[in-house]
Amino acid sequence: MGEAFLNLQFRKSFPDFTLELDVSLSAGITAIFGPSGSGKTTTLNCIAGITKPDSGSVELWGRQLYSSSTRFRGINRPPEKRRVGYVFQDGLLFPHLRVRENILYGYHQTPKNRRHLQPNKLVEMLELEPLLQRMPSTLSGGERQRVALARAMAASPEILLLDEPLASLDMPFRGRILRHLKAIHHETGIPMVYVSHTLSEVMVLAQQALVLSDGKQVALDTPNKVLHQTPVLPLVDPAHLETLLEGRVVAHHPTSGTTEAVFGDFTLWLPTVDREKGDPITVSVAASDVMVAAEAPTGLSARNVLKATVSALNRVGDTVMVTADAGSPILVEVTPEAVSALGLQPGSEVYLVLKASSIVVLG
Amino acid sequence: MNHVPTSEEFDVLLLSLRVAAVGTVIGLPLGLLIAWALAKTSMPGKVLLDTLVSFPLVLPPVVTGYALLLLLGRNGPLGGLQDDLGIEILFTWFAAALAAGLVSLPLMVRSMEVAMGAVDPRLELAARSLGASRWKVFTTITVPLAFRGILAGVVLAFARGMGEFGATIIVAGNIPGHTQTLPLAIFTNLQVGDDDAAVRFIVFSLAVALAALLAHRWMLKRAVV
Repeated sequence: MGEAFLNLQFRKSFPDFTLELDVSLSAGITAIFGPSGSGKTTTLNCIAGITKPDSGSVELWGRQLYSSSTRFRGINRPPEKRRVGYVFQDGLLFPHLRVRENILYGYHQTPKNRRHLQPNKLVEMLELEPLLQRMPSTLSGGERQRVALARAMAASPEILLLDEPLASLDMPFRGRILRHLKAIHHETGIPMVYVSHTLSEVMVLAQQALVLSDGKQVALDTPNKVLHQTPVLPLVDPAHLETLLEGRVVAHHPTSGTTEAVFGDFTLWLPTVDREKGDPITVSVAASDVMVAAEAPTGLSARNVLKATVSALNRVGDTVMVTADAGSPILVEVTPEAVSALGLQPGSEVYLVLKASSIVVLG
Repeated sequence: MNHVPTSEEFDVLLLSLRVAAVGTVIGLPLGLLIAWALAKTSMPGKVLLDTLVSFPLVLPPVVTGYALLLLLGRNGPLGGLQDDLGIEILFTWFAAALAAGLVSLPLMVRSMEVAMGAVDPRLELAARSLGASRWKVFTTITVPLAFRGILAGVVLAFARGMGEFGATIIVAGNIPGHTQTLPLAIFTNLQVGDDDAAVRFIVFSLAVALAALLAHRWMLKRAVV
């Protein structure tokens, strides 16, 4: 993780809600995670200069973007002077401009000596070449978000804010955008602050996670550690409890109709995917689709049996959410009865059973 | 009954077109600015501006004309400026253009305000986060996206300017060949009993009004990008 680059220490009150933050973020990918109305988007808006805090300060790379302190005579830099890139939930492409002009919009506003990203490079990385002459209304959701990403990056910002960029996308597009985001981060080193209410995105993307609830910070740590903190899991929408895994295709098995892919320490058999050997692949496994066995199961039809160690148990509503480490953490939803029947506790050795058909290929 | 307009009568039409066009062109930057301020800012005094700009719509045009007369008169705020420049605006076709521009300003502003208000403010914020100044956002995002509504406002203002009577007669008089626009010519010909000429001017007015309304309708129908 990099040095602290973003200091947020501010307060913003609304009639029904107050956001109060005092955190320093490191220069990697930070995920802000929390339920709807917890203050995630407000936080981004305060960084971007769209919302003005009531008091406090926002400091980016030592530069005061906002400060209520009289020493800075109440600085509040306008959005266009902040060098903060923003990818909005629905992309917000300019509907009257072609993709090409959208991408170049911010680039043209950027002084020549501050342009360190070439639009051509971004177009290539995000595979936008075939779309350049299209109008935004003809693009799919995933294409729009890729263009929005290129447009924000072409202005050479010092930080990139992303407000649930995957929320409006269908499943197969999500993994692809996530991979692009990682590639952009890797290539440019730009710090990102990524807002999500989907835990799996946070897990797969971020190096640190800031968890908000009702305008307050409840945790700031690596995503894995955050997940183990008791106050966090109840904030997760059970419908979104899933594990995202990133791996590589290693073989196709036409006779059984499966594809074999390696995810770090383990191998999974998936429904056949149209992908070359060696291609990256992202899959999602819903927590409710994973079964737990205390001993190595035999005589099973399911191909995917992973040995794992329970690292945390959290009560979420009527169920218990088990985090099991099989090389990477996998979320499993079980009943309280199963926990006592299997004697599950942190440190227990278990076997996770995944049906190939329950693994959703995202991209 | 003679249906063929004389060349003097055509000159009246041309003068009216010129007066309305110049009035609209003068009102355009002002209208854009006021409409933008009303639709896109939360500045103090917005209610006052809103009220002020509506005045010419609800006041008798004669009163608006009288205000303009005081403004442009020798002892008015703009009188000295005219002396310095060696020009005299009152009772020229240009005074008629100013009257037309002022009286039609509320219509122009309302139409533009609605159009600009319909532009998603988040698109403008997106543009600013990309480094665009407020002026740049106005010219590259707000105006292009509100373009048809703005154009509709221009057409409406032009049509209203063509029909301007009360304010015009106060500041520009009714001088044949100089400041006598279509409505003034109709009025004068009806007064002296030349109904044929009046009808020919009325036909001109109808044609221009019809064309403007059709253009306005077409623009609003296609106002959504």
